[in-house]
Amino acid sequence: MAMKKLLNNWFAQALLFLLALGLTAYVSQVINDVLPPYVLIIGLFIGINLIMALGLNLITGVTGQLSLGHAAFMSIGAYSSAIATVNYHLPFLLGVLIGGLVAGLFGLIIGFPTLRLTGDYLAIATLGFAEIVRVQFTNMKITNGAIGFLGIQGSTTFPIVMTIVVLTIFAMVWLENSRNGRAMLAIREDEVASSAVGINTTLYKIQAFAIGAFCAGVGGALFAHTTTFIQPTDFGFLKSVDILSIVVLGGLGSIPGTIIGAIVLTAAPEALRSLSNYRMMVYGLLLIVIMIFRPYGLLGGVNLRQVVRRALMWPKKKQSGGRA
Amino acid sequence: MSLLALDDVTIRFGGLTAVDSLNLEVKQGEILALIGPNGAGKSTVFNLITGIYKPTNGKIALEGKSLAGIQTHKIAEMGITRTFQTIRLFSELSVLDNVKIGAHCRGKAGLFQAFTRLPGMKREEAELKEKSMEALEFLDLAAKWEEKAKNLSYGEQRRLEIARALVSRPKILLLDEPAAGMNPQEKVVLVAMIRRIRETGITIFLVEHDMKLIMGISERIAVLDYGKKIAEGTPLEVRSNKAVIEAYLGSGKFKSRIRR
Repeated sequence: MAMKKLLNNWFAQALLFLLALGLTAYVSQVINDVLPPYVLIIGLFIGINLIMALGLNLITGVTGQLSLGHAAFMSIGAYSSAIATVNYHLPFLLGVLIGGLVAGLFGLIIGFPTLRLTGDYLAIATLGFAEIVRVQFTNMKITNGAIGFLGIQGSTTFPIVMTIVVLTIFAMVWLENSRNGRAMLAIREDEVASSAVGINTTLYKIQAFAIGAFCAGVGGALFAHTTTFIQPTDFGFLKSVDILSIVVLGGLGSIPGTIIGAIVLTAAPEALRSLSNYRMMVYGLLLIVIMIFRPYGLLGGVNLRQVVRRALMWPKKKQSGGRA
Repeated sequence: MSLLALDDVTIRFGGLTAVDSLNLEVKQGEILALIGPNGAGKSTVFNLITGIYKPTNGKIALEGKSLAGIQTHKIAEMGITRTFQTIRLFSELSVLDNVKIGAHCRGKAGLFQAFTRLPGMKREEAELKEKSMEALEFLDLAAKWEEKAKNLSYGEQRRLEIARALVSRPKILLLDEPAAGMNPQEKVVLVAMIRRIRETGITIFLVEHDMKLIMGISERIAVLDYGKKIAEGTPLEVRSNKAVIEAYLGSGKFKSRIRR
């Protein structure tokens, strides 16, 4: 009981949170020193994809707004952070933050007109937006057009990515268990009923969109500072689909699902490398098989908390009389 | 005193006048029923009050304040909540979350609170949970708080919808066919529940088809036919009203037009 009280204390929780971040940074630093660069770079891309997928999970999985333009926000984050660090010589982490903020701002701006649309229509609108952004970057001087943006420093490291991953996961879990998160879930479930109970559906859709875009921007910034070279074709429609596949395959709306999805879908093409020419065929087959056997995604519809609690036979369960 | 007043409200969908110059007052603390044959425009009236439709003509006012141009979510905040004719629950969410979301407009926490999780937010969450459990107990659903809403029985889902509408402490509760699809025992329980809700000071305005239930529970009844109010009064008055009998049973002159 005393233990529980301590855990409810805000300072204790804040301390635990910082401890978790510190531990992540430390452990990933150790891993960084041990593992070969090839494995590390895969881990890095898993982390980057995960950050972006968690953002899309908020938009599509939690709030239920199908977006096919996530790569656009990624590219906005990538280019603006690259401009910040290369042209303005700002520190790397500040550049990442700028990348996220600019992408988030665009999410806000795009959200206002497009979020009046629903379902397929919204998907098409976001798709169009993504194409506009891509064409814009191809024709801008500051982004060096189709030739691509060169000379970005490779500042992204495994520990930095992992720390941001953990930070993002925490933020998403907190958001989902808040008044805002519940409102977003309600919008996914039934928009008419949501507004009838007093939820400003437009506001929360735009919030989700902006936060999701922020995550994509951060991911894009980390991506730019990993590859050190970006061009508009890196952020085409297929990139948006890649991120969406992670969310759908993991289980729409499930944070643990998105984590597993990011790991599986980023690592699979590498693991299948030995199959050479048949690689993408097997990869596609893998997607089909997973969707047949787990149509709601790997962890879709699984309440992990409940599963864990039941597995541990949490004593609280008996007290509150949860049995129907 | 009239709590909710509809003044000369008309709505047209293209050539169809779904509600035609409707004048109606809901008095503080009463149980008012709106009845009428299928397609008479009853649910449309609810959609007009909650701002889902905008009236072509006329005024709707809550406690004297006009609801014109106010968005649905603001109207809920002002104290009008509802249930739906076809159940609209957040079916993948837990029973408790459904009710918690019902109290959304009474909460204050925003993004800042979500990410900082300061003690104030924790307190709000704890109070919200308590309030929601109270509402669930009131509607006899407390034991099912952890279930997904979609796994409840039909009658339980109807009650959960009421709990969700009730938890924000509205001034007036709109019930759109609350007894639809219920068996006789469930209906008896429902009537008792509606009475208990009214006793807590919430005004009830309901649309219903079940005549027995309506006659037993409501203090006043308004009758709608083809969007027009054809009668209003106590159950006894309405029951013996000629226009009402004609609307429901036909006038006898045109047998082919007889409706149930």
